[in-house]
Amino acid sequence: MASHDAHAAAGAHAVHHDPNIGTTGLDNRKVGMWIFLGSDCMFFGSLIGTYLSYKGKSVGGPGPHDVFNIPLTSESAAVLLLSSLTMVLALAALEKSDHKWTGRWLLATALLGAHFVGNQVYEFYTFAVHDGLRLSTNLFGSTFFTLTGFHGAHVTGGVIWLMGLWWQLKRGRLNKSDYTKVEIAGLYWHFVDIVWIAIFTIIYLIP
Amino acid sequence: MADTHAVAGPQSHGGQEPAHGGGHASVRTYIWVALILGFITAIEVATLYVPGLPNGLLVSSLLVMSAIKFVLVVGFFMHLKYDHNIMRSFFIGPLLLAILIILALMALFSAYILLPRP
Repeated sequence: MASHDAHAAAGAHAVHHDPNIGTTGLDNRKVGMWIFLGSDCMFFGSLIGTYLSYKGKSVGGPGPHDVFNIPLTSESAAVLLLSSLTMVLALAALEKSDHKWTGRWLLATALLGAHFVGNQVYEFYTFAVHDGLRLSTNLFGSTFFTLTGFHGAHVTGGVIWLMGLWWQLKRGRLNKSDYTKVEIAGLYWHFVDIVWIAIFTIIYLIP
Repeated sequence: MADTHAVAGPQSHGGQEPAHGGGHASVRTYIWVALILGFITAIEVATLYVPGLPNGLLVSSLLVMSAIKFVLVVGFFMHLKYDHNIMRSFFIGPLLLAILIILALMALFSAYILLPRP
């Protein structure tokens, strides 16, 4: 009888054991991602704080209002917001085991992200070549390129991550049991969106 | 807007609470949130072109609209509204610190975006 109970307990343990679940009962990968995002908040907080601290203190031009292209940046903001929607739609499709639409939404998210990066490359090129604003030109150049460049690098990393998930899905290596894996990628993707929400307002819109 | 459901994720076993700590909104809610975000963004950009708007009012309204967008994305798209309190504290704590870092740096360098320089 005792042996039977011990066997049942061991069986139950085997069923319930998941190496990703910590003692809190939460998925360690997701907890880790939230901690990373919290630390990334402070990273971008430092960059935004530095930009604001040096705002209007450049000795020579060009300044923000000589170079900013608000319509282009607004389109970038809209593209990134739309990509957040396609990301949650990908997750919702995966939850229903709808692999066809999961793939489509993941690909759409990655392409929208790539579009954003393309806009940023165009913007940087225009600033550097046509407006003469480079990293070392003045305080505005150094703080602007560092802040938005790091954000662009985050978006680029997110695009690569999403393409990797899309590729795994196409190869049949991603399914409903990988929900948390895709959710974590989504958390990262939405984070780059919220950072852009802050950058768009603080850097581009506030005079 | 508030229709939600818990996700019985892969770590959820035998009807237990979802292991990743919460549910999420419905697709319909996501679309509504996206529409609201797009609308607020349009208002933000349009605000720039309103003639004669006092600087203080312009800056404060832009910051408020940005904060609303931020909360909507974090709450609904990142599911923090439905997530475990531990997840919230891991994100909101450092977020508050980040805001304090920004304010501290601005104070150190006498930088003002709302108040006029003395």
